[in-house]
Amino acid sequence: MPGRRPIVPKDDSLCRRCQTNEPTITVRTEPLCNECFCRYVSTKVVKRMESFRVKYSDPGKERVLSLPLSFGACSTTLLHILSEHMKGQVERTGRSGYQLHIVHVDDGSGPTSKALLEKVKERFPEHTYSILPVSEVLSLDGVSPLLQPPLSSDANGDTSSQTEPSVLDLLATLPSATSRADTHRILLRRLITNFATNHNCESILWAHSTTRLAELTLAETAKGRGASLPWLVTDTASPSGPQNFYPMRELLTKEIIAFSSLTSPPLDDLILKAATKPAVSTKNTSIDDLMRQYFESVERDYPSIVANVVRTTGKLKAPGVGAEEERCELCEMPLGGAAPERSRLCYGCIRTLPGVRG
Amino acid sequence: MPPHQCEICKITRAQVLRPKNGQRICSACFIALFESEVAVTITSTNLFQPGERVAIGASGGKDSTVLASVLKTLNDRHGWNLDLVLLSVDEGIQGYRDHSLEAVKRNSADLDLPLKIVSYEELYGWSMDQVVAQVGKKGNCTYCGVFRRQALDRGAAMLNVGHVVTGHNADDVAETVLMNLLRGDLPRLSRATSIITSTPSAAPPKDDGAVSFTNVKRSKPLMYAYEKEIVLYAHHKKLDYFSTECIYSPEAFRGSARTLIKNLERIRPESILDVVRSGVDMAKLVPGADGKCKGACGDSKAAGSTNAAEEEAEGGCGSSNTNSGGDSMVEMEKKLQQDERTEANGPETEVTLPANPKETVSIGVRHSHEAYSSLPPDDGIYGQNHEKNGASKATAVPIRTKQEKKSGRKPTRDAAAPKQRLGQCERCGYLSSQSVCKACVLLEGLNKARPRTGVEVGGGG
Ligand SMILES: [Zn+2]
Ligand SMILES: [Zn+2]
Ligand SMILES: [Zn+2]
Ligand SMILES: [Zn+2]
Repeated sequence: MPGRRPIVPKDDSLCRRCQTNEPTITVRTEPLCNECFCRYVSTKVVKRMESFRVKYSDPGKERVLSLPLSFGACSTTLLHILSEHMKGQVERTGRSGYQLHIVHVDDGSGPTSKALLEKVKERFPEHTYSILPVSEVLSLDGVSPLLQPPLSSDANGDTSSQTEPSVLDLLATLPSATSRADTHRILLRRLITNFATNHNCESILWAHSTTRLAELTLAETAKGRGASLPWLVTDTASPSGPQNFYPMRELLTKEIIAFSSLTSPPLDDLILKAATKPAVSTKNTSIDDLMRQYFESVERDYPSIVANVVRTTGKLKAPGVGAEEERCELCEMPLGGAAPERSRLCYGCIRTLPGVRG
Repeated sequence: MPPHQCEICKITRAQVLRPKNGQRICSACFIALFESEVAVTITSTNLFQPGERVAIGASGGKDSTVLASVLKTLNDRHGWNLDLVLLSVDEGIQGYRDHSLEAVKRNSADLDLPLKIVSYEELYGWSMDQVVAQVGKKGNCTYCGVFRRQALDRGAAMLNVGHVVTGHNADDVAETVLMNLLRGDLPRLSRATSIITSTPSAAPPKDDGAVSFTNVKRSKPLMYAYEKEIVLYAHHKKLDYFSTECIYSPEAFRGSARTLIKNLERIRPESILDVVRSGVDMAKLVPGADGKCKGACGDSKAAGSTNAAEEEAEGGCGSSNTNSGGDSMVEMEKKLQQDERTEANGPETEVTLPANPKETVSIGVRHSHEAYSSLPPDDGIYGQNHEKNGASKATAVPIRTKQEKKSGRKPTRDAAAPKQRLGQCERCGYLSSQSVCKACVLLEGLNKARPRTGVEVGGGG
């Protein structure tokens, strides 16, 4: 186990932890073998699952946690690690401390995700799975009117002949890549939160890595959403719905990707490789893209600085939110009495939605 | 392309594409708009008392020149009755300030505002030329930076002015917000976003009503103005300023933040103000924040924010970059990794570690321009030279005595901890996190008429 080691000097040609195997990967200056690296990764996650130990759950009452699965390396790896964690709990105590409800949002972009989900189910049959069509965001409270392009709202009412626009159509009417990415992220999060609430999930386990959380921190800051950061990047009660947890918050994206090929069997064929975007013009770059690219490079050279950004933001204190406190109609973050006049939207959402601006 | 009509007056041809929001407007409308926006900033924050004496930190560069012009205009227009004076610092380096001080003198005449030039010699008894003669060219930037930090406050007190305004703009503030997120420094992040960065100290004003230099308020009325618009304003008002480009690259964290801000501005011009807005909002979430003193101050409001002024003022050569020193990101990364190892390995190695990440940053930028002659032509105290003002923050190098060092503060990652407990310098009374302020420590060394010894700048390690 980490933390317990002899005082004898280390042989640097061997794995820093076991001093037996050849190192295969360097983790934050420590050369580790595959086995020790994998243990390092799962330990980081399991440590964050402290509140879901068996002893905290009543035998008759299951604690259900929602795990949003995008088929990216992070969420797939989280699913794997937690599956192992639950097996361990059962082996030791006869039962597990929680159940997982896996939810995938299908954006209708092709048959791939359904096929992938079948593969995932095969590999981890012990969990509950749901697929949510992305179109359901339109049935979330207040979303449809907000997304209507400004033109159609004051048109001649001749909408009967047209088919209802899809979410993606509506997103496409937003004025910039930043607005589209921002709104998309907010809607997905709301959809998943809403789903978790309706399915009695007490928490949502987001698979954000350290790197992803750092990206999010700077991106949201740049979009004027600094006030909502505590709810977005910390393990905290959400102002609406289940509590958010980030069990992978202490792992870098690159570490998670390395891990995903080292499991047996590897997770590779369960992971949807993100199409690497070609270099695009500024016009098509969103603030989220910019921060992703930025932290990709920071992660390479300054992994601890990435971690420090996340640790630091984690110290921001979410203000107490009263049940009757007004929330933003789009992102559902508390307005804290700070809503600009004539608006039920927060500063960031006003920026992102066109035509709402007074 | 057909000429556009001004979107505001609809009469004149548009000459300005507002960097802030892409509006096409005429020169006159732009000037009026820019001025009215600064006026809103000032009135909505109750920045000035009627009849208040206000010193404008004037370096001769664009930001402080625009600030002086706008304040003069608004003061006349709205009858604020402010008693405005230009305040410049002369480090006492032969030939170095000539051009910028000439620009300030012309501004003083154009705006009909009195000008006070305070020299290091006057303030400290040492000009930089004399310091260099004493300590040599190596390390003189430390002196320059430390002296500079207090110079505006001391100069203001000499004029019996209790409020100094500086030209820090929205780009500066946004950059500082991102920089401090990257550096994991919430207290500085929150201080950077407050328009008044220093409030009068807890010490009561003297009976005779004289302003003590420990009792000077600092504020930045242009903190919501885009740098590009400041340049445009100067251009359309035909203001006379001394244009300087810093030849140094900024220290790594600031450089990184600056690049991000430039890219953000390209993607969405509004994002500069959005970052500022986020910073203001986040300041309220920093543990211990009461909305005013924001975090770091252990005890009083005054202490917390005055310290900010101390840091903010610390521009200039002493801190503008790391060309000759380490790279602050590299250094901080090393330090953080060391902390991580310590955490993993248990306490046996703990004592050998420097205290906290912030000091590592300091170590990273503990540097000096080797060449005295290569002093950058402007400094950060006025918020003037965007290329490096406030780079300062990275060089808030704590001076720790040997004893303090030995007492071995525990490694901590708690950026929110009140690690800078503000007191007053026991010699001069300036607010300082040490019992004797940096200026006094340096002066003592100089006055003993021997090369600087025994003063360790920066955390060891
Ligand atoms: Zn090993
Ligand atoms: Zn919102
Ligand atoms: Zn006009
Ligand atoms: Zn002193």
